Amino acid sequence: MITKQKQFEDIYNSNYSIVFRLCQGYTKGDASMSKDLAQEVFVKVWENLGSFRNESSISTWIYRITVNTCLLELRRNKSVPLDRHLSQLEHNESKVIDDKEHQLTQLHECISKLKTENKSIILLELEGLPQKEIADIMGLSHETIRVRIHRIKNELAKCIKL
Amino acid sequence: MKAFDDLKSQWKEQVLPEPPNKGAHVVIQKVRFLQKKQGITNVVLLTTMAILICFFFYINAYKFIIVSLGLLLMIGALILRVMIEYFSIKKLKQLDVTKDAQSFITDITSYYRSRIRTHYIATPIIILGYGIGFYLLLPSFKQSLSQGFYTYIVTSAVVILFVLGFFIFNEIRKELRILKEISTYDSEY
Repeated sequence: MITKQKQFEDIYNSNYSIVFRLCQGYTKGDASMSKDLAQEVFVKVWENLGSFRNESSISTWIYRITVNTCLLELRRNKSVPLDRHLSQLEHNESKVIDDKEHQLTQLHECISKLKTENKSIILLELEGLPQKEIADIMGLSHETIRVRIHRIKNELAKCIKL
Repeated sequence: MKAFDDLKSQWKEQVLPEPPNKGAHVVIQKVRFLQKKQGITNVVLLTTMAILICFFFYINAYKFIIVSLGLLLMIGALILRVMIEYFSIKKLKQLDVTKDAQSFITDITSYYRSRIRTHYIATPIIILGYGIGFYLLLPSFKQSLSQGFYTYIVTSAVVILFVLGFFIFNEIRKELRILKEISTYDSEY
């Protein structure tokens, strides 16, 4: 029988990168903050692992924990480092950075301007989750998610000016 | 939405860090450390309460009504404050992060509303109780302490009251901001 620790190690190793990327969406790409947030997410995963009942897939369950943890921690600390990020951007702009990197930075910037729940929705959409699963994570109807994603995409397109 | 598909593929192409070496082990260690820390906190709180109660009997405070009342008010206010914070932190840690985001937001909102009620109702009563207790003890202090030490105690009490007031005010402001933001989140639906 697989031990709790072994199960956790497997979950950690196969989900760390995805959790980290999702956290980056909440921190405007700040690696250090995302690392701390990802660790906090896995603390919650470990603490709640015993209560996981296979009612949803493990990834949906982890996404829920990630969305809620990022929401809670960022509100409590209110430390999204806007100034630090902007100065980093200015520094980067003085160098020649490739288009892709620039567009990704721009995407982070535009995501950060979204309302909190829209941010969660679009981050899950960018991760490629089915809308039904996003609805399950957010606790909203499938229809609401469908309409919301359409609106957010337009909002992002305007912001990025593609 | 071809443009969005491009963004999506770029999002997925981000260079991501590998899971830290022994990262899972570090997480488990962190949880164990936090549990141990919580255990130590509990011991410290219980010991402090025991010492305060022992002190009360040691100086035979119960023989003097005013001194008893003053000490009881101060000790009671401290114990009440510590207990409120202890249960509040416990409640925050027990919030179920595995729920869907909507239900989770409802839970956080309810938590912060109860915090605000504490700040507006319990905190002023506690500070008042502590202040009255201190005031009742002043004649005994004046009688048994030197003038210099008495002045020091009175002055430091006033300074501590202001410093404490400043911290409590900041905490209330912070939690009100959080509650306001969460309410905004709620109303967006």
